[in-house]
Amino acid sequence: MTAFRTAVLEHFRHPRNRGPVDNATVSIDGANPLCGDRIRIQLRIERDAIAAAGFTADACALCTAAASVLTEHVRGMTTGEATALDAAWINSALGGEPPHGREKCAQLPLDTLRRAVASSSGVHE
Amino acid sequence: MAMSSNGLIDRRDPQLAEESAVVLATLVSATGSTSKKVGAKMIVGQSGRLLGGVTIGGCVDAQVIEAADALVANGGRRLLSISLDDDEAWEIGLTCGGTVNVMLDRAEPARAGDALVSAHAFAADLLAQGNAAVVVTPVEGAQAALVVSDTDARSGSLGTTALDDAAALLAVDVLRQGARVETIDDRQYFFDRLAPQTTLVIVGAGQIAMSLTRFARELEMHTIVVDGRERYATRERFPDADELRVGMPSEIVASIAPTKGVAVTLVAHDYKYELPILRRLLREPVGYIGMLGSKKRGAAMRDMLRDEGFTDDELARIHTPIGLDLGGKSAAEVALSILAEVVSIRSGKLGTRA
Repeated sequence: MTAFRTAVLEHFRHPRNRGPVDNATVSIDGANPLCGDRIRIQLRIERDAIAAAGFTADACALCTAAASVLTEHVRGMTTGEATALDAAWINSALGGEPPHGREKCAQLPLDTLRRAVASSSGVHE
Repeated sequence: MAMSSNGLIDRRDPQLAEESAVVLATLVSATGSTSKKVGAKMIVGQSGRLLGGVTIGGCVDAQVIEAADALVANGGRRLLSISLDDDEAWEIGLTCGGTVNVMLDRAEPARAGDALVSAHAFAADLLAQGNAAVVVTPVEGAQAALVVSDTDARSGSLGTTALDDAAALLAVDVLRQGARVETIDDRQYFFDRLAPQTTLVIVGAGQIAMSLTRFARELEMHTIVVDGRERYATRERFPDADELRVGMPSEIVASIAPTKGVAVTLVAHDYKYELPILRRLLREPVGYIGMLGSKKRGAAMRDMLRDEGFTDDELARIHTPIGLDLGGKSAAEVALSILAEVVSIRSGKLGTRA
């Protein structure tokens, strides 16, 4: 099994930060309309820093794993630092690139996080 | 509607509130025919006014209305025996002629002490909670009513504790086998079995789901189609569905009150919906959980959930492969097998030959 698959399965079976965030300051839902992945990212933002991040998902293993590594990583970051993360960072965190056609699965948590930050700061994409 | 599909007298119904007295007519037995219609009901108000959309059927209705009219005016209760020839029997769903016995029970919806109305109110609450109930009433003589639920809750009385205990024992079997007349101490009682309407939750708005909603309508089930994909769960694809809900499927399913009357069918064939839903459902008292997929797939899902702390008893609640094995392969055939299993579980019977 490749390092990528091992990481995805590990995060899918043991996701970090799954569940609602206490006293979240922002909560945004995201969806992939074709495959049906559904995710909710919740953040507690304090003085422009992400004090807590969590997610709820009815989503595939890849999407869940991406949400898991992302929410783990952004805690303590400024909102600017968090939104600067990109697909390459997700790939790096999971140890490889998603199979062809599955890029959107890994991207959904990141897109949803960006929308959450934008929503929190009053900037709507 | 003046009464539910179970034919209960509901004192909160405005149409009933206008009536100082009504007669509940219940077909309690049929001879010379199959007894398919035992338990069929109709409610008759003043001047023969029919309340609600349910009737016993055929030529029986006219005779019941005539007899009920006299009871509404003069009081009392009685057993009405009606002889049917073969043609008349067909009209009400019996296979050949004979005699049907209809119990006519006068009730006063607004009177707090009315035993029948109180019994029906209690039974309605049980059904709303997803429980089944047996309403026991004497076939003839003074009005009395006892309600026994499948959770052993009781309300009302037939007159003595000994009678109530004897009736409660028989009610256990009636819950499994269906409505019938029983004799206790040389007196006949009608045991009416009332089951809650099944709510069929269908997760995954694909082809099997389309067939499920069509068939479930015929079975008078309330259908809720759930999906995370808007383009699948559309009214165009599901004209027969009672509800279409798009969103996070596990949250939608969790928002439905988990009673025994709820059957959840996971037909998306997608673990991303199934696992979160099963995590939420396995410790809830829903009546049925079925999941599409092979034995191997089912075992893999159970293994994952077992690792998360679910017990073997909890995991055994998942019916997978879903449905009774009828040998069919098409979407409609699979839907039929699923509903056959739901009906079988609800009735507490195995799907064997009649």
